[in-house]
Amino acid sequence: MKSITIDKTNALCGAIFVLFGIFFALQSLDLTIGTAFRMGPGYFPLVLAGVLILLGVIIIVQAFRSLHEGVGPIAWRGLLFILPSAIFFGMTVRGLGFVPALFATAFIASFASSRMTPLMAALLSAGLTVFSVAVFSYGLGLPFRSFGPWLGF
Amino acid sequence: MELFHNLALGFSTASSLANLFFCLIGVLLGTLIGVLPGIGATATIAMLLPITFQLEPVSSLIMLAGIYYGAQYGGSTTAILINMPGESSSAVTAIDGYQMARKGRAGAALAIAALGSFFAGTVSTFLVAVFAPPLTKIALEFGAAEYFSLMVVGLVSSIALASGSIVKALAMVVLGLLLGLVGTDIYSGAPRFTLGIREYADGLNFVAVAVGVFGIAEILRNLEGEKNRTVLITKVTGLLPTRDDFRKMFAPVVRGTIIGSALGILPGGGAILAAFASYTVEKRVSKTPQEFGHGAIAGVAGPESANNAGAQTSFIPLLTLGIPANPVMALMVGAMIIQGIVPGPNVATEQPALFWGIIASMWIGNLMLVVLNLPLIGLWVKLLTIPYYVLFPIIMAFCSIGVYSVNSNVYDLYAVAFFGFLGYALVKLRCEPAPLLLGFVLGPLLEENLRRAMILSRGDPSTFVTRPISATLLAIALVVLVVVLLPSIRAKREEVFQDEE
Amino acid sequence: MKFFKALACATAVAAVALSSTVASAAGYPERSITMIVPFSAGGPTDTVSRLVAEAMSKDLGQQIIIENVGGAGGTLGAGRVANAEPDGYTVLLHHIGMATSATLYRKLAYDTLKSFEYVGLVTDVPMTIVARKDMEAKDLKGLIDYAKTHKDTVTVANAGIGAASHLCGMLFMSAIQTALVTVPYKGTGPAMTDLLGGQVDIMCDQTTNTTKQIQGGTIKAYAVTSPKRLDVLKDVPTAVEAGLAGFEVGIWHGIYAPKGTPAAVTERLSKALKVALKDPNVAARFAELGTAPSPEADATPAALKAKLESEIARWKPVIQSAGQYAD
Repeated sequence: MKSITIDKTNALCGAIFVLFGIFFALQSLDLTIGTAFRMGPGYFPLVLAGVLILLGVIIIVQAFRSLHEGVGPIAWRGLLFILPSAIFFGMTVRGLGFVPALFATAFIASFASSRMTPLMAALLSAGLTVFSVAVFSYGLGLPFRSFGPWLGF
Repeated sequence: MELFHNLALGFSTASSLANLFFCLIGVLLGTLIGVLPGIGATATIAMLLPITFQLEPVSSLIMLAGIYYGAQYGGSTTAILINMPGESSSAVTAIDGYQMARKGRAGAALAIAALGSFFAGTVSTFLVAVFAPPLTKIALEFGAAEYFSLMVVGLVSSIALASGSIVKALAMVVLGLLLGLVGTDIYSGAPRFTLGIREYADGLNFVAVAVGVFGIAEILRNLEGEKNRTVLITKVTGLLPTRDDFRKMFAPVVRGTIIGSALGILPGGGAILAAFASYTVEKRVSKTPQEFGHGAIAGVAGPESANNAGAQTSFIPLLTLGIPANPVMALMVGAMIIQGIVPGPNVATEQPALFWGIIASMWIGNLMLVVLNLPLIGLWVKLLTIPYYVLFPIIMAFCSIGVYSVNSNVYDLYAVAFFGFLGYALVKLRCEPAPLLLGFVLGPLLEENLRRAMILSRGDPSTFVTRPISATLLAIALVVLVVVLLPSIRAKREEVFQDEE
Repeated sequence: MKFFKALACATAVAAVALSSTVASAAGYPERSITMIVPFSAGGPTDTVSRLVAEAMSKDLGQQIIIENVGGAGGTLGAGRVANAEPDGYTVLLHHIGMATSATLYRKLAYDTLKSFEYVGLVTDVPMTIVARKDMEAKDLKGLIDYAKTHKDTVTVANAGIGAASHLCGMLFMSAIQTALVTVPYKGTGPAMTDLLGGQVDIMCDQTTNTTKQIQGGTIKAYAVTSPKRLDVLKDVPTAVEAGLAGFEVGIWHGIYAPKGTPAAVTERLSKALKVALKDPNVAARFAELGTAPSPEADATPAALKAKLESEIARWKPVIQSAGQYAD
């Protein structure tokens, strides 16, 4: 017996691939396509984007005849703190300097876990910063400024 | 006889007290920096390069080579322990190595990686010493058409990387190929898919993509169920491989060594494929392919050996032609020039002590790595018992430093966040990251060589089949395709029949 | 003199109104200086920078730290320095790309002529016109004839848009008034590999990359692009001698500072540069690379400024007629 169920996970997955395919295809169309003999910058990506859209569609179609399986829990808290910590480092490493940027990065990331207390996070981040400055700035002599211009140094 | 004379010269150069010391320092530093999460061989060398400028030429190159192996080894350690590869090669090790670690077999995985690498290193060092000049001739026969066909073989093999749905794996490869094309088109200078951000003009940083889709995605996954679990793994069984493990790793190590040595010789990016190709082969010849992706010993032993063998033989183009095969080799050339040695085809005759000294030091470095790392395995495994909520802020900090140190480009950090998100989303949707990464490294090579081959052949596509090496490679690709697809088609039919019943 | 110093300081203050650090040239340099190299570590420009920086540090009494900020043909690193504080603690070492990117990139994050102060010229690396070793032509004239008669099949390799080999290749094609088939690569390594393997025919690249191959007989040299023959390649004629009138081109390197850097500071750096260029170690290493330190008269702000201006004017029509842009 066959029942028509939709595997939402796979359908979503296929949709993501289709969207990526459309994005790359549209971007490729702005570039010179050229011919198979004299390929422009848009030729190869356009072909690939077409293949990606096709594969995405196949995944969506297949989703209609397979069994449903949930995606499971999602680490919202992790997403909220882990991803911004890397971005924060990027935005501040030149302005604030290596020391505050690194401390803040570790501190922000710490809160991705519900087990972490603020004191513990501060201690961990401080220890990590001291270690990294010792290793990277003094040990390896990387050209990082410890404190940046935003702090008046 | 001449070979023995040369090797004797090499060993007497490399085993001087000072050179042994620098080799040890290089291997040690490389391992220690490379083992930091998200920091692979390229980032390590970029950080440590200035240190070597102060030394004697031979010493500095021996130290650099040591850093290179050490960092590669260290990178594999992190890939196995926390699924955080810092190089394309260790991304393959992460697939099964990390699963072994999760099952409490981190010690065995690390030991297998170390021993496999050592074996591969020994054999390929010998190959470099004996066959370097003739192998160079073969490498020079590889033009754009040959590289394109080689990449096609790699692409076809990538299907085997998938342990789940083949269509999804293909889609991931294609997405990876497209992401690999981000950046300035070298033929026209047109920026592609950069969204107008000039910081991405040279493409997305590999470390940023790898750390994102593997490492960050894994952190997020571990944070999902953190209420129930405090440490990554609860029990660790046996630090060393069992007799059974040794039996299982022998053949994969030998095959990996052969594959890696052969691909490493090609200066146009062959070594990139070594680990991926070995994984494919192992999965195909294995009697238990279903174990792959769930902690197969062959899935660690083969790729690690292939990778190390490729790392050794990629010195061949550098030593015999003076041409760097990869970014790490380019850094070595810089170091040589600073020391007053301009590498070229005559290095072996003009600087025999340097040439053979480096070759001998490769083997010594590999020996040191094994001696150093086997006792360290216990320590590394202990790291896994650190509570996870303490571990991951540390991982994030080192990743940020590592990614930033490669090019001082803050946009690489934004890429880490984006690919972390994308990687997590795709993992939740049951897509595996390894095919994406393979696509990412192959994308630019595939397109570049395809277009170059077409330019060189004046737009005649028959160039791919009229050039013998290219034709052979394409035939191999076809065979691989059939071999890879047959079992899955058979499986599909079985599935269909079961449905009917 | 005092007036000029005050004027320079005032300019600096104006330029960095938000910043609290104001350079006083008197005690300069008081801490280590960052030299931004807009290419990756280990490349020819990085090598030149490290050699010069080490020698300059000795004279300045402070360390010069190299920071590699690669990407987008050197324009990212140049942009970083253009926006840095003009206190003399961030400087840029860039090559000919400083002038050519003004045309190659139609939108830059800085103004090539208005965003920098000048320190001086460092070196002028000559180029060599080379071909695969089994190329039939005996001399440059023969090579040009061969190229003209086989213009649809003769291939010219280069290391990517904006690279020295790309610029020289364009200049060569414009000098012989023949468009050949251009084959770009990602970097010099792969381009040289294909030249060694005979997959491509011609390349024009810096002596840094070609000297050892020429000496080893793996490629054939037809001309050097310097005004005089080189000591390391005595048998190779200059392009002018070989009949290509006016074909002189070199990959010149200069040191820059952000606009608003006090003149006293750039003068101090220029003095250190002059000392560095006389350093026997620098001269010896440069010679091995087939180049020489710039003469003392060129290691000055005025000389670099003049060079940059004339080179922008020289390359503009060449790039525009080739119709290739890098943005």
